[in-house]
Amino acid sequence: MRLPLTHLFIAARSGRKETIPLPARLVGFLVAFLFVTLVFAYAFHNLQYQWGWEAVYEYRQKFINGWLMTVAISAAALLLSLLIGLFFALAQKSRFLPLRYFSKLYIETIRGTPLLVQILVFFYVVADAFGIGNRYVVGVVTLSLFAGAYICEIIRAGIESVGESQLESARAIGLTRLQIYRYVVFPQAFRQVLPPLAGQFASLIKDSSLLSIIAVSEFTLNAQEVNAFTFSTLECYLPLAVGYLLLTLPISLLSRWLEKKYRYAT
Amino acid sequence: MRGIIGRVLGGTVLAAALAVLLAVVARPAGAAEQRPLVVGMELAYPPFEMTDKAGNPAGVSVDLAHELGKALGRKVVIQNIAFDGLIPALKTGKIDLIISSMTATAERAKSIDFSDPYLNTGLCLLVKKDSPVKTIADLDQPGRTVAVKKGTTGHTYASKQIRKARLLVLDKEAAAVLEVVQGKADAFIYDQMSTYQNWQKNPTTTRAILEPFQKESWAVGIRKGNDDLRLKVNAFLKDFRRRGGFEKLGDKYLKEQKDAFRKLGYPFYL
Repeated sequence: MRLPLTHLFIAARSGRKETIPLPARLVGFLVAFLFVTLVFAYAFHNLQYQWGWEAVYEYRQKFINGWLMTVAISAAALLLSLLIGLFFALAQKSRFLPLRYFSKLYIETIRGTPLLVQILVFFYVVADAFGIGNRYVVGVVTLSLFAGAYICEIIRAGIESVGESQLESARAIGLTRLQIYRYVVFPQAFRQVLPPLAGQFASLIKDSSLLSIIAVSEFTLNAQEVNAFTFSTLECYLPLAVGYLLLTLPISLLSRWLEKKYRYAT
Repeated sequence: MRGIIGRVLGGTVLAAALAVLLAVVARPAGAAEQRPLVVGMELAYPPFEMTDKAGNPAGVSVDLAHELGKALGRKVVIQNIAFDGLIPALKTGKIDLIISSMTATAERAKSIDFSDPYLNTGLCLLVKKDSPVKTIADLDQPGRTVAVKKGTTGHTYASKQIRKARLLVLDKEAAAVLEVVQGKADAFIYDQMSTYQNWQKNPTTTRAILEPFQKESWAVGIRKGNDDLRLKVNAFLKDFRRRGGFEKLGDKYLKEQKDAFRKLGYPFYL
C-alpha cells in the first residue's frame, strides 16, 4: 500500500491516463517554484548592484506607451501572419505550379535569413522603392511575412498528419473536397497545430522587439531608451520580462484550453 | 521501478552539475593587486574603437589604453561591450575603466566618475543635401523629423531640447544615416567627426552642418570612489599630452579629419 505522502509527489498512472489530485498539483508547483526562486534569490543576493527604481518609475509612461505599441503590433502581426501562413500552406499544394514554387521560394528564403536583415531590406530598399514610408506598416508586414513562413509549415504538417486512409474513406462516402477539409482534416489538424502555433506566436511577440532597428517605438526600444537615460539596466529590463510574459502567457493558456476542448477519443 | 531509480539518478546528477556551476559562477574575484587593467569599450566606432583585419581591437582608444597600461605598469585587457552596457559593467566591477569615446555628462557623472577630458568635440547635424535647415532652431519645427542614435548624447539632447519636431530613435548609426539619405528624416544629430565621415561617404545626398551647437568633451570613466586610479589616469593624460602622444595618435588615425576641421576653423583637438 502506498502512503498518502507519495501521492503528493508521484502521479498515479495507468496506461496514458494520469490522476493528480489538487493538493498534489499545488505541492508539485510550489516545489518547482521554490527551486527557481531559490536559485534567483541566491544569484541576486550575490550581485553587487545599487538598485535605483525611482529613476525608472519616473519614466513609467514610456514603458506603458511602449507596451501598448507592442500589443498593437503583435495583435496585427498575429492575425496577418496566420492569414499568410494559411494562404501559403494551401498554395504549396496548388496545382498551379508557379504559385506552388513561389510559396516554396518564399518559405525557404524567409526561414533561411535573419529577421534583422529582412526588416532592413524591406524598409530601406523594398518599401522605399514602392514609396511606402510608414515604418509601422512596413514593420507589421515584415514581421507577418517572417512568422507566416513558419506558420505555413506548421499548418502543412498538421494537414499532412491526417492519414491517407481517412481521406479515402471520406471520398468513398461521397464528401466533396471542401467537406473533407471542413469535417475531416481541419478538426484533427487544428489540435495538432495548436502547441507549435502557440510557440510561434510567443516568438512573434518577442521578435517584434527587432523592429527597433527601424525606430519603431515599441516596448524593448523604450526600455532601452530609459536605460540609456538612467543607467539602471536591471531596473529597466526586469519590467520588460514581466511585460512580455503578460502577453505570451495568455496565449499558451488559451492554446492549452483549446487543446483540451478539441481532444477527441481516438 | 527502474524508471524511478533512473529519474532519481538523473535528478541527482543534474543537481550536482548545477551546484558545481553555481560554485564556479559565484567564486569571488581574485586579489586586487597586479590584476590586469580591464578596459571596456564598444569596438564599433572607427577610428577610435574598432577591430583590425585580424579581428584584434585597434584604434585611438585602444592605443591610449595600452599607453596607460604602460604608465601604470599593468597588463591591459580590452573588453568589447555594447555602449549601453559599459556603465553597468563598470558599476558591477566587470571592468576597471571605460575608454570608449564617452562624453562626460552631468547625468552620467551621477553614477560614475570621469577623468579630466582628453578630447573636445561637439554635436552637429547631418542634413539632406537640398534641405533648408541651417541651424538646430530650424530643425525643431513641427513636421520635421530628427534621427538620433540610442544612448548617445545626441539622443539625450534631443529628448530634452527638441520639442516640436518628431524624434526617431535608432539602434545603429548606419540606419540613422540612411534615414537622412532617403529623406525620411530631416537631420541626424551626432558628433562632428562621425558627421564629417558620413557626409564624405554620401556627398551627393547629404550635407554636414559642422558648427557645433553643444560642446562636449570625452573622458575616461572610472568607478565611483576609485580616487587613486582617477588621479593616476589624470596624471597619465597630462603627461601623455605633454609628450605629444595625442598629436601622434591624431596623425596616425585622423589625419584627414584634422586637416579638414582646421581648414573649416572648427574647434577640434585630440
